[in-house]
Amino acid sequence: MAASTHGVIATFNTASDIYHAAEKVRDAGFTNWDCITPCPVHGLDSAMGVTRSKVPRFSLAGGVIGFCTGMSMIFFTGAVDYPLIVGGKPFFSPMFAFPVAYELTILFTAFATIGGMFFLNGLPMHYHPVLKTDHIHAGLDDKFLIVIESSDPNYDTAKSLLEAAGGTEITEIES
Amino acid sequence: MASSTTANSSNPANKALMIGIIGIVLTIPGIFVSGGAKVAFAWLTAMTFWTGMAIGMLMLIMIHHIVDASWSTVIRRQFEHGISAFKWLGLLFVPLVVASIIDPSILWKYLDPSYDLANVGGHGTVGSDVLWQKKSGLLSLEFFLGFTIVSYLGWILLANRFRRCSFSQDADGDILWTRKSRFWSAVGLPFMAITLSLCVILWVKALDYHWFSTMFGVWYFAECVRGALAIGILMMCYLTTRGDYRGVLNKNHWYSIGMLSFAFTVFWAYVTFSQYFLIWNANIPEETFWYNIREIQNSTGEPNQWKWIGMLLLFGHFFVPFFGLISYPAKVSKKWMKIMASWIIFIILIDIIYNVWPSKKDALGDPVAFAGVHMIWTLTAVIGVGGICAWSYFKSFPTAKLIPTRDPRIGESLTYHE
Repeated sequence: MAASTHGVIATFNTASDIYHAAEKVRDAGFTNWDCITPCPVHGLDSAMGVTRSKVPRFSLAGGVIGFCTGMSMIFFTGAVDYPLIVGGKPFFSPMFAFPVAYELTILFTAFATIGGMFFLNGLPMHYHPVLKTDHIHAGLDDKFLIVIESSDPNYDTAKSLLEAAGGTEITEIES
Repeated sequence: MASSTTANSSNPANKALMIGIIGIVLTIPGIFVSGGAKVAFAWLTAMTFWTGMAIGMLMLIMIHHIVDASWSTVIRRQFEHGISAFKWLGLLFVPLVVASIIDPSILWKYLDPSYDLANVGGHGTVGSDVLWQKKSGLLSLEFFLGFTIVSYLGWILLANRFRRCSFSQDADGDILWTRKSRFWSAVGLPFMAITLSLCVILWVKALDYHWFSTMFGVWYFAECVRGALAIGILMMCYLTTRGDYRGVLNKNHWYSIGMLSFAFTVFWAYVTFSQYFLIWNANIPEETFWYNIREIQNSTGEPNQWKWIGMLLLFGHFFVPFFGLISYPAKVSKKWMKIMASWIIFIILIDIIYNVWPSKKDALGDPVAFAGVHMIWTLTAVIGVGGICAWSYFKSFPTAKLIPTRDPRIGESLTYHE
């Protein structure tokens, strides 16, 4: 039953095996799946069909908000709330508001980048069904794992595909 | 005979030399049309621009060695060919020095203490000017000559070191050459910091020697490295189109040089804005006059053309490259990077013109206008000196392998990934 299973897990012995298996899973059109490797495998991202991160969009939004906050804060305090002539300068000028706006651009960009990263990757995650399986220990040591989740529309074909791709110890994971 | 002529004209080195000579020859009539002083300013613009490009390339090579970089190994060789231009740049600087010794009034007024400042909207002579007296240790003919000669000789020496180390390694693959390059980078970086700052102070900033700015050397450094990166991108485009670099460069090399270009865009803006902002904020006449003549006429207070050039720099030198280089797809698009690199090189030239030309003032203290016949000589001088630099690059190109094949980092560079 799909409802009580998290998905299916398969073991591969080498980085090259999982790399080619990932290509097959990608080409079969799976979307809800992942690779678990004990070490970074270069090029696995593109073999999995993973596109570039969306974090930069959060960063850009943070930067724009930071810049506008800095400018409007100086404008509000200097020209609206408490107009005061300092050094013969106008009540507001983007010139002297710039250092503050610039710093806030950097600060808000950093916040948005960190926040956007956590928002997108779902961390921190204290529990995951995959941790229940026995395979996971080998996956953290010397084996390479592919997990296809049951929520994937093509889940019915998952087992046969993993088998065809050379996976061993193909097991269902309890949800 | 006929066939060898055809072969020669298709050789890029000969083509570049031809362009260089034509540019230089076309600058000469300027002396009779616009006068020697304006041609001297035009020549100084060209020298500051192209020497800056070569300095930027040398800096990039040294930064590569000192941080033991890997990805840039495949494009470092192009910069090594580029810095072969230093000896020719040194030679092309000689006319300025000779002309200034014969008649200091044409360019660097500070070289002649008896110069009458009434000619440029001031009063008294240079020698009676208290600001010159205070700065005379630096702003003297002896120091100017000595420092310019030491700088060029040092740049030529460093360029030869890096070229020799890198080219020799192609033959024997000895790791010692990499260590030697690292040693010369450690020696060369502080040397470059001092020489490029003081040279641009003596050549450009001291055209208006009253002025104070602690940012000027850093501004020139930012300009040099931005220019060198842009030329590096154009070389990558050219060699990819020609076929040399096919299979050598991957997406990540484009991404990395794009990131560096973006970073130096922000750095340039930081430095240039800081210079303006500090002077604006302090509001001291000895400093503000420099920006005043770049906005309004000294005699009437009316806005002049330089105001619009200043605006062009603000938007064209910062905002256009900033938004043009900010995204990943932009950085890995060869077509787009070619446009951005060409634009950056063009706008750097405008920035050098903005820093050099308004110091050419009339008796009312008004700067010469941006648009005028003198810009023709600036253009021919830039093309002339640029042609010689390109000739030097293309002449050096066949003398070594396309990439440093036996550099210890070459494997890492060829398989470079994020």
